[in-house]
Amino acid sequence: MLTYPIIFQVQQVSDLGNPVGDARMLKCESPGEFSVGKSKDCDVQLEGQSVSRHHLLLILGEDAVRIRDDDSTNGTFLNGTRVADAEVVAGDQIELPGWHIVLMGRDAKEPTLAATSDAVVLSRLITGDSGEVAVPPPIDPYAELFGGKSEVSVEELTQSGHPISEVKFCAVGGGLGSFVWVDHLRCYGVKAGDIAVVGTESACYETYKRYCKNSQIPDHERLRSNSLSRPDNIWGFPGYALREVFRGQASGIKGVFEVFGEPTLAQSYTPRAGDVFDSLDKEAKRIQWDAMSRQGQVRRLRKTNDGRYCIAYQPRGDDRGAERAKMALIIADVVHLSTGYPATRFVDDFQTFVANHPNKRSLVANAYEPHDQIYSAIENRDEPIFVVVRGRGIVASRILQRLSEARAKNPQIKIIHSMRSGLGSRDGAKYGRAKRSVINNVEIQPFNWPKAAWGGDLRFEYEKADDERRGEILSTLGGTSTAYRSDWVAIAERGSEEDWYRVVFGSISELTPADGTDDRIRVLIETPEKHREELFAHYLIDCTGLIADIRRSPFMADLLDIYDLPRNHAYAVEDGQAQKRGPTGLQVTNDFEISGLSNGQGRAYAAGTITTGGPYLAVDSFLGLQYSALRSVDHLVTDKTHKVRDLSPLRSLSQWVKWAVGSAP
Amino acid sequence: MIPTLSGRIQTRLFLFVFLGLPITALFAYTHNGWSWDWNQAQVFFLFLTTLLGVGLILDPVYILIQSLRWDRDWPFAFQFFFSIIEFGIVVGLMINNWIPWLPMGSGKGAVELQTVTLHFVSVFIPTFLALLGPLSVFFIRWRFKAGQFGKL
Repeated sequence: MLTYPIIFQVQQVSDLGNPVGDARMLKCESPGEFSVGKSKDCDVQLEGQSVSRHHLLLILGEDAVRIRDDDSTNGTFLNGTRVADAEVVAGDQIELPGWHIVLMGRDAKEPTLAATSDAVVLSRLITGDSGEVAVPPPIDPYAELFGGKSEVSVEELTQSGHPISEVKFCAVGGGLGSFVWVDHLRCYGVKAGDIAVVGTESACYETYKRYCKNSQIPDHERLRSNSLSRPDNIWGFPGYALREVFRGQASGIKGVFEVFGEPTLAQSYTPRAGDVFDSLDKEAKRIQWDAMSRQGQVRRLRKTNDGRYCIAYQPRGDDRGAERAKMALIIADVVHLSTGYPATRFVDDFQTFVANHPNKRSLVANAYEPHDQIYSAIENRDEPIFVVVRGRGIVASRILQRLSEARAKNPQIKIIHSMRSGLGSRDGAKYGRAKRSVINNVEIQPFNWPKAAWGGDLRFEYEKADDERRGEILSTLGGTSTAYRSDWVAIAERGSEEDWYRVVFGSISELTPADGTDDRIRVLIETPEKHREELFAHYLIDCTGLIADIRRSPFMADLLDIYDLPRNHAYAVEDGQAQKRGPTGLQVTNDFEISGLSNGQGRAYAAGTITTGGPYLAVDSFLGLQYSALRSVDHLVTDKTHKVRDLSPLRSLSQWVKWAVGSAP
Repeated sequence: MIPTLSGRIQTRLFLFVFLGLPITALFAYTHNGWSWDWNQAQVFFLFLTTLLGVGLILDPVYILIQSLRWDRDWPFAFQFFFSIIEFGIVVGLMINNWIPWLPMGSGKGAVELQTVTLHFVSVFIPTFLALLGPLSVFFIRWRFKAGQFGKL
């Protein structure tokens, strides 16, 4: 149960993300659905060129608060992740162009309201206590047609009057996972007309690119990915390094040497982000991606009474002025779910800080959310600036690189690197006879799993293992690591020598604003020796990642509930024993089939981060997406009912030649 | 590369049959002045088979080295280096006359060092390049199967 009133803080922000003017408080006293946008008939009216007339809906229920993007042009984001429909908890930040809306925590209500006494309290949403009725929640056509049902009849769907299209294959998500699966189908010979893709993105890499940009990987920077992991090429040949050579890029020769020598003689080769996106554009054109793609928000998936599936989605209006359909339906024989990261949340203390001190929001950032304003602010100041960087993964390495670049403009920037504990050269993770190496307190490996997890002995070992053993392997081989890059090592070493980089060990026990008018944050660190170290910093950049729970996507939550789908679990190794922890991804077979969704001859598959903890470790990687696509499409071939032809060596060659010359599969 | 023992053996045999043997036949043919003579050619097939045998004996050693590496992989540079080591072992044995079926020298049925070196290079380069990716063009699942063939 939620306790009302629910309070949001609404803050206008500049292009760079700095607060503009006073924050407004939005107080909602009872459940209801409230619209946010530029239009006068919205409950909350927000100005701005990039704000849509009806941008998003705040849906306040008895038990949960949700947001739903109302087909906006520029999107609605939750903690840096673009969302169509998501549950919101205290401390979450809802972003739309030029505005931040934060759902306040219970504790924050009184002090913050007092502190911003001059803030405008929007009263439209406050229902009076004189018997005035709260805004009745509007009728949800999706609940009407699908609510509670586990099977729908095709006749009923036809009679519903919503536009229906029938295809053989439907990919739900529209991101990289969908793209890779569809690319496999097309290369196996399935016609574009038999495939539909539904998702909110216009390009399959849109979300991925946004994460890259936020975590300071612009197009010219290199990703943590292998040369042969090409999401635009199901064979992985030629790799990105050779592609650079073919395109006459001077870096290509070095790249080829890196591929030859990595990781022993040379640093591991990694492709440029921009090259990956360009190659995806090219492949999208070749396989007629646009013809298959339907833009919209997927809201429901149901089995039909004739052994197929119904996918219901809210289409995006092509013509902004025209009346758009509230719902469109796709009926498909085979579905593939790759919905990516659902709404994410920050680590607890960070989330608490944001919930309780929204006016200090600009002083802290998660590395995955847009935070360029911090760099421009510190570069333009001419005084000592202290920045705390928390975490030691690859994102932390990027952020440190960006901060060291900022030092060129303001040499007085000092970096405090907060890590939970020190790591000596012998403290790296151990597996079998092998040990992970450690440099400057950070574990080093080229990619986020040992290479053999993708297609070597570790893949077999992990696939064969039972749940508990899988959990054990996952927690031993996973964990935070970064890649070896000589410039990153140099930052830590030169920085320590020149006294602008310092490592502090311990867990952050308190994160609060500094007292009084001091525009800094106070970070209390509990060291491993039980000392307390108090730091005052101008900014904190949290690089410990985001927590993803698939239930926070209402689409996935509905699916889990209606079909009672089992989930994988995390395990932690304590005293040599694997201890079961909270639920993670959706359970799938080794062929990535969701068995709980099979429907007669109908088949449902999944891929990507929603299958975490399943039959494969690196589900969340380019090559991992290709692996799962290959497994599921091969499974369809074996199944025979869906008439997908096998990709035999000679057919494979002929398809590859078509890829190489750029002709349609 | 991230092979397992059975992946190594399968890939090795595959490359032997589909690249090694045809190239050797071609090499023997050209070496004999563009004419075929089995008596002349067989020394090259024996040499290649010996090389295969040495490789198969060493494969478990490579797997042991792999298991000591965190990534449990086999970098291309290792593949390159150890292929030359394998060649070196065979040549070393030949020089010491420890391989009765491969006498070294200029006599009848014998072979000269520079000829086997040329033979080795002409087989080694295409097989090494095939491992860098072209094999996947035919066998799309090979890279996920640790060098083995067949379905996933």
